[in-house]
Amino acid sequence: MSDDALDATNPRTLPGFFDALADGELLGGVCTDCGQVLLPPRPACYACGSRGVDVEPQFPEGEVFSYTAVHTPPPAFAADAPYTVAVVELTDGGRLLGRVAADYDDVAIGDPVELTVREPTATEREVALDYETDWPVHVFELR
Amino acid sequence: MPDPVIASVGASPLGRTDLPGRDLFSVALAEAFDDLPDPADIVEAVYVGNQSETYEHQIMQGTLLAEWAGLRHVPAERVEGCAAAGALALRHAVKDVRNGEHEAVLACGVEKMTAGGTSGATDALSAAFDRAIEQRSGVTAPSQYALLGQRYLHETDATERDLAEIAVKNHANAARNPRAQFPKEIDVATVLESDPVAPPLKLYDCAPVGDGAAAVLVTTAELAADLNRPQVRVAGSGASANNIAVAERDMTDIAGARVAAETAYEEAGIDATAVDIAEVHDAFTVCEALLAEAAGFAPAGSGYQSYLPPAERADGWTDVQLSPSGGLKARGHPIGATGLLQALEAYEQLTGAAGDRAVEGAETALLLNEGGVGDAVTVSHVLTTAEAP
Repeated sequence: MSDDALDATNPRTLPGFFDALADGELLGGVCTDCGQVLLPPRPACYACGSRGVDVEPQFPEGEVFSYTAVHTPPPAFAADAPYTVAVVELTDGGRLLGRVAADYDDVAIGDPVELTVREPTATEREVALDYETDWPVHVFELR
Repeated sequence: MPDPVIASVGASPLGRTDLPGRDLFSVALAEAFDDLPDPADIVEAVYVGNQSETYEHQIMQGTLLAEWAGLRHVPAERVEGCAAAGALALRHAVKDVRNGEHEAVLACGVEKMTAGGTSGATDALSAAFDRAIEQRSGVTAPSQYALLGQRYLHETDATERDLAEIAVKNHANAARNPRAQFPKEIDVATVLESDPVAPPLKLYDCAPVGDGAAAVLVTTAELAADLNRPQVRVAGSGASANNIAVAERDMTDIAGARVAAETAYEEAGIDATAVDIAEVHDAFTVCEALLAEAAGFAPAGSGYQSYLPPAERADGWTDVQLSPSGGLKARGHPIGATGLLQALEAYEQLTGAAGDRAVEGAETALLLNEGGVGDAVTVSHVLTTAEAP
């Protein structure tokens, strides 16, 4: 296990992960024992229990593993509905859920996508917790 | 070790009610104790399954409901695990009786889901998902399960029509259940033509929002006999937590449910073929298909045939009947009470109190109650008649 302090600059914590994402870098944990990719990074591997976790940049492309459209959104996202959400299997092996910047009918399982990052909108900032206010939002775009 | 049994059950009306949560609990408790001494004379501890304090802005549910039951100075606490809270409460009660700590424990559950309207329920349920990635992407309970459903339809021969048939079957069961929120039959076209909620799931693929409470009294076999109550043995109990984020799990092999069910089977000394009836967590139609496979009732990829009579299902299926109550889909799904409503159905089926919906010859029941999406947490119980081997 890393000797680094788990402070807010460490990418094994959420502030550290989102700081890097704001700079356009998607960091994943990679288990030193079994190779499992952990998104976001965390102190222990869920697949084998190891606490040996390296932090490595993840290539920001992948394929749609599953997808849907949200027609009955939480109140905070009412103005966006319907919007498309997908689980994406990234090229480096990790899986990450996120919005897809495409209509549901234009998406299919296996479609290649690219991860993009933007600043939160004013509405998103309004519903954010204090510590989340500046966290960026990732969105998948069809390639 | 004492043999824990269920000695009595009760429930409130389910659906849109004019009663607050504590009053729904009082209705459920009154039914459960109709033929019993007062709770204060026998109950030694209370566990309350309850999803969210946002509906009624009330925590301390253990303290509150113990007081409303007339219990003072007993251990009482709320148990939280989203929709698995009810079965977690039951599991705690079972363990307390099994390890000899108490002779009689009240497991109850309550949810006043309609207090904040549909948007309030949508928001409260979304708290079950990972905050950092999932909630901030705007997911909801239906959309999370739709991700499982989309993948299931991709990997198997199942169609949206098959999922619709599961809803039709569960509504037909509910039509014979006087406790059901929707005791009416529907047809396949009604499901397929209903509004999209999160494709491939449509309105009639989804369990309803509704209020409800349930109470289950767990005692030693000796105390149940002394109280002259029909008893159902809790022969096995299992629980499993899996990743909170759906993306990081196997989305069609519901491993946590498999572990929970196998743990309960092992404790009971049975395998899946011994199960006559199962109340599984069909919050969305695809769940029944996935859980039929995870519980060992169906070969991988054929769980969607749960709506067919046993003789018409694929080779490798057991003869189990799923969701005789009508399931979450049509009996109702007041989140924190659901796991206890499942136990209530099994109690009535195994004690000859299920009326028109009785499954003939049923001696062994499996309960599977999930919280979060899929197997984020799963709790399983095996219940048997007192006479079952």
